[in-house]
Amino acid sequence: MLELRKVCKHFSGIAAVDNVSFSARAGEITGYLGPNGSGKSTTMKMITGVMEMTSGEILFRGERIERDLIAYKRRMGYVPEEPHLYAHLSGLEYLVMVGQLRNLSRDTTADRIDGLLRLLSLHDDRHAPISAYSKGMRQKVLLSAALLHNPDLLLLDEPFSGLDVASSMVLRSLIQELAARGKVVLFSSHELETVERVCSRVVILHHGKIVADDSIERLRTLMALPTLESIFSQLAVEQDTTAISREIADLIQA
Amino acid sequence: MTKLQFRVLYREFLFRMVDLELLSSSAQGDLGKLLGQVAALLIFVSLGFTLAAFSFGDSRMARADLLIGAWSLEHSLLAMTMLVVGIFAVLSWDSTFLDQRDVLVLAPLPVRPRTLFLAKVAASATALSLTVVALDAFPSLAWPPVLAPASSSLLNLILSPALYRSFAAYWITTLSAGAFIFCSVLGVQGLAAQLLPRHRFLRLSAFLQTAAFCLFLSVYFLEPSLATPKSLAAPENQRLLAWLPAYWFLGLFQELNGSMHPAMIPLARRAWTGLAIAVFVTCTAYLLSYFRTLRKIIEEPDILPSSRGLKWSPRCGNALQTAIVQFTVRTLLRSRQHRVTLAFYLGIGFAIVIFLLRGGVARGEQFASHENTRLLFSSFVILCVWIVGTRIVFSIPLALRANWIFRITQIRSAPEYLSASRRALFVLAVAPVWLASATFFLSIWPWQAAMEHLMILGLWGMAGAYVSLIGFQKIPFTCSYLPGKSYFHIGLLVAMVLMPLLGKGVEFESRALSDPVCYSKILIVLAIAAIAVRWRSIALAKSDEAIVQFEELPPPAILSLGLHRDGVLPIKPHST
Repeated sequence: MLELRKVCKHFSGIAAVDNVSFSARAGEITGYLGPNGSGKSTTMKMITGVMEMTSGEILFRGERIERDLIAYKRRMGYVPEEPHLYAHLSGLEYLVMVGQLRNLSRDTTADRIDGLLRLLSLHDDRHAPISAYSKGMRQKVLLSAALLHNPDLLLLDEPFSGLDVASSMVLRSLIQELAARGKVVLFSSHELETVERVCSRVVILHHGKIVADDSIERLRTLMALPTLESIFSQLAVEQDTTAISREIADLIQA
Repeated sequence: MTKLQFRVLYREFLFRMVDLELLSSSAQGDLGKLLGQVAALLIFVSLGFTLAAFSFGDSRMARADLLIGAWSLEHSLLAMTMLVVGIFAVLSWDSTFLDQRDVLVLAPLPVRPRTLFLAKVAASATALSLTVVALDAFPSLAWPPVLAPASSSLLNLILSPALYRSFAAYWITTLSAGAFIFCSVLGVQGLAAQLLPRHRFLRLSAFLQTAAFCLFLSVYFLEPSLATPKSLAAPENQRLLAWLPAYWFLGLFQELNGSMHPAMIPLARRAWTGLAIAVFVTCTAYLLSYFRTLRKIIEEPDILPSSRGLKWSPRCGNALQTAIVQFTVRTLLRSRQHRVTLAFYLGIGFAIVIFLLRGGVARGEQFASHENTRLLFSSFVILCVWIVGTRIVFSIPLALRANWIFRITQIRSAPEYLSASRRALFVLAVAPVWLASATFFLSIWPWQAAMEHLMILGLWGMAGAYVSLIGFQKIPFTCSYLPGKSYFHIGLLVAMVLMPLLGKGVEFESRALSDPVCYSKILIVLAIAAIAVRWRSIALAKSDEAIVQFEELPPPAILSLGLHRDGVLPIKPHST
């Protein structure tokens, strides 16, 4: 289980993440939602161990992650929000490098990369430089890199970004399959329909604070709202979206 | 609308002449500081030429003799201007034409190709002019009064039309020399872009850039001194002079200054012809590029097709070491910016070597001979510049935001990463030079003598590599870069001090090659030094403070609470 206890992150005195506590259990897919700038990616970076917390603690399987960060990183896979990759390497070279950095055996790396590239329809382009890849192809490289070492904890920040319909369907089923096999999956996305279909629980963040943490079913019942989108609008959207869209249309016509 | 578009694009293109990716925003990389350093270097060189003019000002030579006496300094100034402009043209290689990103961003906008074209030309011309002005401004104040006819008073000198003619001749010549080099580079690039399919052009372009760089450095360092009437008129030098543009523009200056010597007439003619051809070819290629290549760029993006044949993946130690060495080699082979920077250092090294070896190579067993000493010295010089250049290139990042993968996968201790970085330097710098030297020395010397020198060269390389990595707690190409911390000027001074010492050491070695006792002493001293620096370097890497650095500046020890942000206190003071 991944557990966050009173996690705070301040930038120059301003709280980007404020007293966030929740847990993501093995076998469950936890959706982590929030509007732009709500602190989702900052939380993700703290969970990966790349960014330090101002206060609080993050525990994985009952142990604080900073106690043995190296062991924790061995068990964690991460798909970042932005597909920043070494574009001068080919997809194959990049994945081989990740396998080597993760200290996987040569044969295991080769077999897994070959399989992942075939299953994700990247095999034919494996020798092309990543600079030539489309956004979806880069996303597939990131996903392959995150799965290569069979992690126990999977952190997915906007993993569907740029993927075509077929790949999205594969990824959706894959996330469910991995959770069913006992992995902890924390999944952040703006695509509420996908989150509704995939996640068993959601944590909604607003202005760095948690405003909801429950199963989607219970949130629907408690708030008497039909969809996750309406729940999200109620909790985290402050603006009148219809009025704003009308104003924009008026503005450009004026 | 078009004027505004032109201004916006002009400013954007002008600032893009510097690769902003070099400067990490998170490390507060300062573009102004980088440009300031470059300008300061140019002004420093410029002051040297200015002082030289004053030395002529004091001279009591006849004017005709003085004008001839100043030729060699005028030639040096022109050669330096052409070298600086050449380097500038090579470094701004990618920004002189539109790239795929420009096209994708600008093509959907209602901007005419003509506006794009003019904005690019104006940005290039401004950057070029600023470079020439930074280098030539101070000498332009000192040289015309020296070269103008002697006057009885300062007032007469100021009122003399010859002074203004000399001033105009100076600027027309330096700007023309700069334009000739810049246009030649652009012309070659533009013609290649027109004649070749885009993917082939991209491949050739990388080669052309490096070749142009080496050419400029070699010509500058190897250009013979012919700035005397006798040498310029000598029939045996005419073929050589026809290929040395700095002398053409020396002729042009004399023509414009009204101090033409008969030996200079063909050179001045050649300068006009060369300039006209370079400008014409460049304008044609540039125009064609803008009106024909835009479509090509969209249809054939800026990527090189994959080469399925060669796959370089030998093991270089454990998995981590292999990963980092392979990443380093691939980055250096594929990143144009890094290759050119390394080529700059290697160019200097090779120029010194060519200069040293012009006297020939001795194949006999007289190891203490003058030729052999220079040969030994050359091998050390190449090894040193290769190590220093590679080490400097390691500090320049590539795709900084992609370094998260090294942070996320950091499942081993810092010393293991630092050891992998050391290995990368050995593979990329020490091993190639040592192997090339081995091939060379074994082919010209008896194997025992060659092996003796190679042992010393190996130990020297080992010590040099370890020394250069002291304090380097990074994976190559993954840490942010601060221009103010490059200490290039200090490195240059250290190199100048070390060169004579190295020369003495090489003389000692050449004598020791035929004296086993002396040789053993050298070997022992070098071995101890190499072991000591290795121990020190590894001890530093294993210390408690050792971390793998991804930011040049460490996070602040004291965290600011930002209470005075925007000048507003979050808590209002109590009013009494």
